[in-house]
Amino acid sequence: MALLELNNVSAAYGPVRALEGVSLEVNDGEIVCLLGSNAAGKTTTLRTILGMVPAHKGEIRFNEERIDELRTQDIVGRGVTMVPENRRLFAKMSVRENLEIGANLRTDKKEIREDMERVFVLFPRLKERIGQRAGTLSGGEQQMLAIGRALMAKPSVLLMDEPSMGLAPILVEQVFDTIKEINELGTTILLVEQNAHVALSIADRGYVLQTGRIVLHDEAHALLEHPQLSQAYLGELD
Amino acid sequence: MNLVRANFKTGLVGGSVIVYLALVGILERFQDRNVITGVVGLGTTLVLLTMFGTGYLVSRPKDDGTSQPFGEGLVAGAFAGALTAAVVLIFEAMLGAGIQVRNMLVSVTPDLLDLLEFGLGPGLGSVALVAVGALLGGLAGALRLLPEDVRGAINYSLIVALALSLSEPLMDGILRGLGIPRRWLYESGGLTIVGTIIVVVVTAYLRWQWMRRRDQIAETRAHMPEDRRILYRRITLVALVAVLVALPWVVGPFISDVLGTVGLYVLLGLGLNIVVGYAGLLDLGYVAFFAVGAYAMGVLTSTASFLVKPENAPFAEHGFTNFWIALPFVVLIAVVIGVLIGAPVLRLRGDYLAIVTLGFGEIIRTLVLSDWLAPYLGGAQGLIRVPPPPPAALDLRDPQHIYYLILVFGLLAAFVVSRLGDSRVGRAWAAMREDESVAEAIGISVIRYKLLAFAMGAAVGSLGGVFFAAKIGSIFPNSFGLLVSINVLSVIILGGMGSIPGVVVGALVLVGLPELLREFGEFRLLIYGAVLVLIMILRPEGLIPNKRRQRELHEQEELVTVGELVTEEGPA
Repeated sequence: MALLELNNVSAAYGPVRALEGVSLEVNDGEIVCLLGSNAAGKTTTLRTILGMVPAHKGEIRFNEERIDELRTQDIVGRGVTMVPENRRLFAKMSVRENLEIGANLRTDKKEIREDMERVFVLFPRLKERIGQRAGTLSGGEQQMLAIGRALMAKPSVLLMDEPSMGLAPILVEQVFDTIKEINELGTTILLVEQNAHVALSIADRGYVLQTGRIVLHDEAHALLEHPQLSQAYLGELD
Repeated sequence: MNLVRANFKTGLVGGSVIVYLALVGILERFQDRNVITGVVGLGTTLVLLTMFGTGYLVSRPKDDGTSQPFGEGLVAGAFAGALTAAVVLIFEAMLGAGIQVRNMLVSVTPDLLDLLEFGLGPGLGSVALVAVGALLGGLAGALRLLPEDVRGAINYSLIVALALSLSEPLMDGILRGLGIPRRWLYESGGLTIVGTIIVVVVTAYLRWQWMRRRDQIAETRAHMPEDRRILYRRITLVALVAVLVALPWVVGPFISDVLGTVGLYVLLGLGLNIVVGYAGLLDLGYVAFFAVGAYAMGVLTSTASFLVKPENAPFAEHGFTNFWIALPFVVLIAVVIGVLIGAPVLRLRGDYLAIVTLGFGEIIRTLVLSDWLAPYLGGAQGLIRVPPPPPAALDLRDPQHIYYLILVFGLLAAFVVSRLGDSRVGRAWAAMREDESVAEAIGISVIRYKLLAFAMGAAVGSLGGVFFAAKIGSIFPNSFGLLVSINVLSVIILGGMGSIPGVVVGALVLVGLPELLREFGEFRLLIYGAVLVLIMILRPEGLIPNKRRQRELHEQEELVTVGELVTEEGPA
């Protein structure tokens, strides 16, 4: 059964239509990637799931329950969290404060501490820099912290918006290894990427968005060989 | 030659400052005030200080290492003196020719010229101006050649001596209150010669020792075990409270009254600090909560309130209730109004929020002034006969008594606000202030936390109004103008946004300073404005900044390092 399910969802920014009847599902334990060129509606899809952009048509279900009418904090509280594009850390706060903020909705102090330790196991570099200001971290470390901050909310589905953006190739590989690892530890992942090749290499399935509609949907390895994929990307793949 | 050309301009600026001070009348007016009795008045001190400052400024170390501090200071000081001398000579000539200079420049009196000539007459006086300028400028420059600890000691002792002399009205009262003989230190409004020497030597020595041992002390403190450090912090805290408790009896009723007003501004500042400093919501209508607190308390306790006033008499025997019973209800009313004002502006950010809250502040003032509400709030006549808090035996209207009430609630508010800042709520506010949309994305309920900030700010601010009503005993609409909002905002900006000790220092400077400057009459606001500008230029993060805020203001420097790190790894 699908853990997260979008059914014919449309959304708009004022008069500008951003999503037109998007349907997709993410099953428990999967890594699903959402591909597409600029302005295809990838980020909007994530924001709509989180209730930050209202869905004016269709329905969004999480664990069988409709969440499209809920407020963002309630959706996060149920276990959907986002790692925003460009990291968007609280640059003036320390590493620890950023992690604590991630757990802001939770009240289980002991488990929060355990989860922080878990983040440090995943990213030992963050532990070394625990008191350091987030803005002074390197690009790779910032991405680690952004992921760590989201994990502190104890999500069952993690929405990731372009985690490879602005990182050197070697770091991109590291980040994707980490995503795989987080997935293996039991978190379902919906990944938005421009870097289709790398994303599909770790994903189970993929959807391709074009001007607000899903135009392709298949198993990851099948998508990799699909001729229409390169079209959708205007030649980003060779 | 280069030396002369390079420092010519700054010298002239220094000279212009002296001429300006002379022409607006500050110098002559201030000369009546002794700095060192029988030796030098405040007017002359300002002239000398400007020359010294000019020399000190031009001789600051240059990047290219071509500093010649002594020569630079000497040249600049001499030019400052020369410009002053030139102006003095022009005025002497005009006076000599029988021209009525005072028709144009009212401040140019023979007394003023005499002051500038050091009482030596036009000829010798002009030479003296240049010579003294060169000497002081050169000395200031030469200070740069001294090791840091010695220079610090000299600068510090001069500043302390000047500050002690200027605060004579305050210090005299304190010494009297403590029963310390003061004849050796003060005499007719200024320091005595002996007093000056003692003050300079003692502060210089203490400062020198501190500069030398500073690192060592910091080292010891860093290695101190945690429990020891907590013990020391507790001792400091107890000592601080002891000083605060003893204060009104030491300084007397007048200063106690000023301290009470400072306390009101501390309360208002603490409240606004939640809204602006913590949550980052720029509220320019904060006076609304001050007014709500004062009026709610007034209506509930005044014997002239519509709640109790009999048909045929102006006053009732008792108010509707007493101060202590009313207090929680007043705070509750303020919280409700805080939420009411907060709700419609939730979607607004930054400048827009500021304008709308500004409007709300004015609306509240207009409402209390309106004929419509006049039967309940008194309109322009205000609300009178607000009794002091019971029991009557404590006489809580006396400035020395109500000070304690304000102190207790101030400490309580400071405690609550500081705990709030470090709590989950405080962290959520900080996240919201930094990046509202990300805060929302990670599950922070922006709406709830904004309303909470308005409600908490309103609660603390209303306490300010409550004590204002209790202290003054009557409430008039014109006490709740825009200026109050601006002043409170200035208190927290000056003290350091988001910092609690900053609020206290900010309130002391902004409310206390004008009181101390009272004897300077019409120049009071001029000096006050100049001090504010100077503080903001020299310390944009405020006097006692909040650590996180300080980082925000010095972001520019840090961005460079972040940039370097990013290019190191580079985008793909």
